Amino acid sequence: MTRIRFSFTRGEVLKHISHLDMMRLIQRALRRSGLPLVYSEGYNPHLRFNLALPLPVNVTASEEYGEVILSDSVTPDQFMVAFGEQLPAGLDLTGAWIEDDYSAPALPSTVGAALYRATLVAEEGCRVDPVHYRQALDNLLSKEEILAPKTKKKKKKKVFVNVKPYIYEAYFNEPEKERPLELNMLLQTGSRGGVSPFFVIEQLEKELTVECNYKAHWELHRERLYQDQDQFLQPLSEGM
Amino acid sequence: MQAIDTKLKRLLSQVQKPARYMGNEWNARQKDHAEAAVRMVLAFPDLYEVGMSNQGLKILYESVNSRPGMLMERAFAPGMDMEELMRAYDQPLFALESGKPLAEFDLIGFSLQYELSYTNVLNMLDLAGIPLYADQRGESDPLVVGGGPCAFNPEPLAPFFDFFVLGESEECLPELLAGLDRLKREAPDRKELLARLSAWEGIYVPSLYQPAYKEKRFSAIERTDSRAPAVISKRLVRDLDRAPYPTAPIVPYLQAIHDRAVVELFRGCSRGCRFCQAGYIFRPVRRRSRDKLVETAKQQIAETGYEELSLASLSSTDYPELEELINELDRSLYGEQVKCNLPSLRLDSYSIKLADRLHRGKRSNLTFAPEAATERLRRVIRKNISEAEIFSALNDAIDAGWQGFKLYFMIGLPTETEEDVEAIVDLCRRLRQYFRHKSSRKIGISVSVSTFVPKAHTPFQWEPQLSLPEVTGRQEILQKGFKKMPGIDLSWHDAETSFLEAVFARGDRLLAPALEKAWRLGCRFDGWSEHFSMPRWRQAFRETGIEPEDYALRRFGYDDLLPWDHLHCGVDKAVLIREHQKAFNIDKPEQGEAQ
Repeated sequence: MTRIRFSFTRGEVLKHISHLDMMRLIQRALRRSGLPLVYSEGYNPHLRFNLALPLPVNVTASEEYGEVILSDSVTPDQFMVAFGEQLPAGLDLTGAWIEDDYSAPALPSTVGAALYRATLVAEEGCRVDPVHYRQALDNLLSKEEILAPKTKKKKKKKVFVNVKPYIYEAYFNEPEKERPLELNMLLQTGSRGGVSPFFVIEQLEKELTVECNYKAHWELHRERLYQDQDQFLQPLSEGM
Repeated sequence: MQAIDTKLKRLLSQVQKPARYMGNEWNARQKDHAEAAVRMVLAFPDLYEVGMSNQGLKILYESVNSRPGMLMERAFAPGMDMEELMRAYDQPLFALESGKPLAEFDLIGFSLQYELSYTNVLNMLDLAGIPLYADQRGESDPLVVGGGPCAFNPEPLAPFFDFFVLGESEECLPELLAGLDRLKREAPDRKELLARLSAWEGIYVPSLYQPAYKEKRFSAIERTDSRAPAVISKRLVRDLDRAPYPTAPIVPYLQAIHDRAVVELFRGCSRGCRFCQAGYIFRPVRRRSRDKLVETAKQQIAETGYEELSLASLSSTDYPELEELINELDRSLYGEQVKCNLPSLRLDSYSIKLADRLHRGKRSNLTFAPEAATERLRRVIRKNISEAEIFSALNDAIDAGWQGFKLYFMIGLPTETEEDVEAIVDLCRRLRQYFRHKSSRKIGISVSVSTFVPKAHTPFQWEPQLSLPEVTGRQEILQKGFKKMPGIDLSWHDAETSFLEAVFARGDRLLAPALEKAWRLGCRFDGWSEHFSMPRWRQAFRETGIEPEDYALRRFGYDDLLPWDHLHCGVDKAVLIREHQKAFNIDKPEQGEAQ
């Protein structure tokens, strides 16, 4: 058995698909690749395969991770070629390596935080005044708590969770000429709770004190995933 | 998509399921427009996930795109949210492969599968900026063609289409496109082009036929150009093994309704159920060879990575060497972890055996369509299974470990009485008792009831549909009957939807203005219960002076000229008349005698 981990990017042309679509797409690419795949036992055999963290619809990414178990030994180079040529435009393999430690925890359980960059794209002929947005962000972050609705599966009752502690960092880029306004967000994710970047943006827009008639929209990008090690965040890339 | 412009990008970030509109799927073909002499869009008037489940679409895509010098792209009906955005942002309907507006293509081909998608056809033309009516289109507009089952009675759509192709077009479409390229250079104008085209086999140019009416009823049709044939015959694939068939079908990102590899065992159906249009218009039965099927299945699995393979046809267990085929597929796909499935199971022990043989995993539900609950009525519709066979088949299924059954019935069939409807309740009650007796497990039964819609080119084409109040009454009989039977789950089709389907299934050209009106009033996706609005349709009929009841509830006579009589489906009217008469001259055995 070989446990292979790989990293990939997701570009514009593929950013509109959901996590389930991604899972299906990658599994079918693996099935086409001719690699020696391993299936689970049982009535509905499925591939031994994982993605580190679901990527939301309409988000591009520069450093995502996946892992798959193979029955025979395959070199990372062989894997890169066989798998890589089955991937559609917009999904590019950037690396593959063998995880020797077979007891290493499954990828999804290692992710603790993610860094997002949201870019405010204004339509032609429309200028965004960053001052309003900076003010709104200050207002938002100065709140004691930020409540997000959460539906509990079993009870089907809507409860509210304070997600403020999950926003580790949120800041705008330094003003530069010809560069759109960018909001960087380092957000907690994973089993201990998390907050969606879309929710943070939604709350930010609620804090806009001036009625903004800008024709502008946000484009989201996920820069990096982190693991949470004893309160210190370490990029996933360094831990592997 | 090669070039997603910023406007489109913006729209995609705002809609639900943007993957419906992005194209670029695995195995989608990007062909160079500059190198293609003819460029066609296959337009499917329903959502992406419905259209991408249609095997005809995949076959035509292969048949055109495997040829040099021609290309076919795809377009689907945008969801309501996308339509709203497209209109707000002046985004014309575009083809998925290139992102180019439909108006830039030479030919727009609509797949006409279902009468209730007609308003979507008009909506798509409008979103594409193409004039709705054929006679309003100019030399630079694309030609608009229709094909598929509904092209066998396209009269309600006639004014909106330049021409129709009757029958199976996977072989003739590339021919047609090559010919069109030639005709375009030779013919002085669009009108002349269509007139010349009308002489080709299987081509129906409705503008060359002038209907006449007596008291608002269709009475005659006359050709206005001698080159157009009096009766148009259908196109037919003679040898399926040599016909184009996808070996590398598109794999959607979004989960389509049927998201799997499909091989088609045969075309046509030898059963001859009298209500079934597909059983008549796809005659005669033609088979694919076992070798071809195995080869195609292997290629499809290798090229797609699909985890499921469907052995499709109108009645798959009728394939003569089915067991051998399944054995061979098992051998060839060994290790690939592919699940095979058989749609359209017949209610007999042989089918159960095969279903069981194919099945892996939990045996949940099996689906069957007895259609009617009394043997008398089953004989009328020529669904010849006895009650004893039903019981014995279901008995075998329980022995094999299946947990439950889904049973399809129809109400409103010709000669049906309220007793026949009560018999549905009664049959299910007896089945339930039998199952309780037989098995300690809980066997679930779900019953799905649709309403009979008389269709053109079937022996029941002369028959009226049951009136709305009567349909509702019979649905109430079922609801009441099943109320006292916990464990049986009843669902039924909306009566008004079926009524509208009947209006258009046997309609004529007088319906075209009503269709346009309904679309202008906002009708879209009429086959989707969440969008269907009968009040809007009533208003459309009222404002255009149409009595829809006169279409759906009318009994035609053998002497009446039918609006689709000039379109030949391959079965002579005399045969349909004979079958129609046989339906009413069945021996009448006592109910349940075969038990």
